[in-house]
Amino acid sequence: TELRLSHQWSNNDVRHKVAQIVADEAAAANVDLEIKIFGGKSLFKPREQYNPLSRGQLDMTVLPLSYAGGQQPAYNLTLMPGLVKNHDHAARLVKSPFMAELEKKMAEDDVMVLVHGYLAGGFAGKDGCITSIDDMPGKQTRAAGKAFEQMLAGAGASIASMASSEIYNAMQTGVLDAANTSSSSFVSYRIYEQVACYTPPGDFALWFMYQPLLVNKSTFEALTPEQQAALRAGAEKAQAFYLEEAKKEDAESRRVFSEAGVEIDDMTAEEFEAWRELAARTSYKAFVEETPDGQMLLDLALAVE
Amino acid sequence: MDPLLLGALVAIFTILVLFSGVSVAIGLLIVSAGFLMVFDGMRSLELMPEIFFGKLDNFALLSIPMFIIMGSSIASTRASADLYEALERWLTRVPGGLVISNLGACALFAAMSGSSPATCAAIGKMGIPEMRKRGYPDGVAAGSIAAGGTLGILIPPSVTMIVYGIATETSIGRLFLAGVIPGLMLVGLFMAWSMYSTWRSGNLAVISARTYSWTEKFEVLPRVLPFLAIIVGVLYALYGGIATPSETAAIGALLCLLIAMIIYKLWNPRDLWVVLRDSTRESVMILFIIAAAGVFSYMLSSLFITQAIAEWIGTLDVNRWVLMACVNVFLLIAGFFLPPVAVILMAAPILLPIITTAGFDPIWFAVVLTINMEIGLISPPVGLNLYVINGIAPDISLKTILYGSLPFVACMVLAIVLLCLFPGLATWLPDAVMGPGF
Amino acid sequence: MSGQTTVAVAPVGNNPFLRAVAALSTLAGWCSAAMIVIAVGITCQMIFIRFVLNGSTVWQTEAVIYLMIAATLVGLPYVQRLRGHVNVDLIPLALPMGARRALAILTLTVSSAIVAMMLWYGYEYWHFAWDRGWRSDTVWGVRLWIPYLALPVGFGLLLLQLLADLLAVILKIDRPFGLEEH
Ligand code: NA
Ligand code: NA
Repeated sequence: TELRLSHQWSNNDVRHKVAQIVADEAAAANVDLEIKIFGGKSLFKPREQYNPLSRGQLDMTVLPLSYAGGQQPAYNLTLMPGLVKNHDHAARLVKSPFMAELEKKMAEDDVMVLVHGYLAGGFAGKDGCITSIDDMPGKQTRAAGKAFEQMLAGAGASIASMASSEIYNAMQTGVLDAANTSSSSFVSYRIYEQVACYTPPGDFALWFMYQPLLVNKSTFEALTPEQQAALRAGAEKAQAFYLEEAKKEDAESRRVFSEAGVEIDDMTAEEFEAWRELAARTSYKAFVEETPDGQMLLDLALAVE
Repeated sequence: MDPLLLGALVAIFTILVLFSGVSVAIGLLIVSAGFLMVFDGMRSLELMPEIFFGKLDNFALLSIPMFIIMGSSIASTRASADLYEALERWLTRVPGGLVISNLGACALFAAMSGSSPATCAAIGKMGIPEMRKRGYPDGVAAGSIAAGGTLGILIPPSVTMIVYGIATETSIGRLFLAGVIPGLMLVGLFMAWSMYSTWRSGNLAVISARTYSWTEKFEVLPRVLPFLAIIVGVLYALYGGIATPSETAAIGALLCLLIAMIIYKLWNPRDLWVVLRDSTRESVMILFIIAAAGVFSYMLSSLFITQAIAEWIGTLDVNRWVLMACVNVFLLIAGFFLPPVAVILMAAPILLPIITTAGFDPIWFAVVLTINMEIGLISPPVGLNLYVINGIAPDISLKTILYGSLPFVACMVLAIVLLCLFPGLATWLPDAVMGPGF
Repeated sequence: MSGQTTVAVAPVGNNPFLRAVAALSTLAGWCSAAMIVIAVGITCQMIFIRFVLNGSTVWQTEAVIYLMIAATLVGLPYVQRLRGHVNVDLIPLALPMGARRALAILTLTVSSAIVAMMLWYGYEYWHFAWDRGWRSDTVWGVRLWIPYLALPVGFGLLLLQLLADLLAVILKIDRPFGLEEH
């Protein structure tokens, strides 16, 4: 049996390695199961993957679930400011009733999770640090995700939407003053050449994005029990690896930026609380308004210790 | 089936379908649907409209119609005549002066238009009749404009550079800058050839048709100002932190439309509609090919052909310059038959990994690719510039145009060789302006 | 091509069907051109808001993208009518008239078939988005059936124009591939 997995990342990205571990383990199990990986957007564009996955035209993918937030508004909770405190908290979240509810939503679209995982990110400022709400007014800012745009706009920033690949040029020409994206994007797009100050995810971080390895449910259920077991075993190994690497990426971004001479300024507990209050008034509020069961899902997520 | 064998089958089938006279975009859809149906199952056809839509779902594509509007709005005024007249008055004493004025006008116009046919049409409408009137042979008149017009896609802005930038995720700002010096170099080569051939032919009668006084020379200069204003305005928006390259195109389009309306009094709704009609026609044609070529490359990737070819070339142990020569021959042949955007979109995903693995710079390669595409624009059977010349001067035979443009093709081949010897010609300016980065 | 003085237009003769399709395609062309102009305007407005007023731009990028897609799709029939879609006419040129006509009928039939397929699955995709109430995952949150509507509309109109072209060749109102006899 051949399964096709599509993703948007390069070969040395952690998310590709996660897919590769699952593929290698499946092959090693000798259960007639081959996973063919189409990396680096070679098959589908990033946001075009969820629909074919849900219709069974694609078997597997690794993607930020919030990309499908327009199809299932509940997914917007997987990229919500201040909902996840750190990677260990994220690891508890994926085993919670909150995630069980989300998986029910996925099942509606004939999609299921094989590997859970969160990646974190931070803020960078062209002229100064972005740690508190008071740093935002008047700044042209690129935010990663709808909920972050709502929160930053609430703090008085001006929002310019663009792909993370455009941040470098936009900062260089002065179109952009500040940006929010993942640790790995900050490093791979060499944003440290353009900014004065970086706020990496540390003890307190606002930006966590859920990026699971998904499989089409019907396709999975049509596999033999041995094949399913092989996939699950590979997934378990990959998930442990994913968590470790996610932590390393944050540390790596901190190291790269400070070695490039960029000022590093962490977010304090008080600043984090202020952001979270602001988020409650802006992004959480908007989420609850547009999502059926939104309040219930939000409460479940906030209840995770 | 082995992906490489399948790839060969796709190539043969594509050639057959495209040669049947079906339009290129629809032909690509036919080939894609056929292979997806047979080798991926009926269900993959369901995805085709979704992929088609997705390929167009890109903000950078906006700049294509915008840069085309820039060219066609200015082309429909007397602006290109002014430009042409100014150059002529200053260059009248130079051997081949009129040809050189035309080439210079093409180069300047190319700096405002993203498309080659538009450049060709704008200058050719004035230039070809004038050159013939002054006794230049038909071949020289038509050939120089056909070739000069191709500069539209090398000198920024450029529609093909935008498409390359999107397909390979390289910075469009950088690509634009990379085309400047090679573009000027090519104009220089074209002019040098024109001077030499006029001098050699000994046909000096055509040179001194008339002379102009210094007053006459200076009084035309203000009429070139709108051109300079547009070029400077667009450059400032692009590199001065006002807008991204795709947004700049909109500023340029608005600026050109306004200048055409205010300075050149292009008020008549019928004339304005002609500008819009021509721009829509060319843009939709290009965007249709872009979307269809996107579906085609999905098919290649889905059947693992793209990946297999890249792997196979990787295992070949050939000298990188031999590889580059092969790539150039391939591009040249593809350019004979297909319009530039189709070649770029079909070839870039396969060629780029090969090129970068062999240690070539993707920005540099964009310039080499573009010059290859320029040759394709003036070679049959699909040479967009040839159609334009044919529309302007229907009584000049295709053969005459072709023979006339052959020396300029030689100049383009020479330019590719020079770029291979001195890659800095393409890479120096982007590095100097934007710093070594993306 | 821009700046060209003359534009070839598919002849319609006195056939009412051909005339109706031609009118429809021309109307589509006007809509397409209008959408391009509106996209220019919105982009300039966006730059103004951001650069001069230092304000937020929430909907502009998305709106411009969807306008451009719609302009392309809706413009297809008009460009087909203006014979603006590039082709390789080497073999048709080499063929005698009878064979050329047969080849033109074949290519137009196959083209119509593929466009009909794009229309059908495009309609399904549009209906899917409509049925499930999909929105774009941005703050603006456009209902996606609106931009997706361009797929069935554009391919539907293009199909009509292709069928009209086919009919014109069969009825000998238009020359095959629009080529002069040699
Ligand atoms: Na140009
Ligand atoms: Na050609």
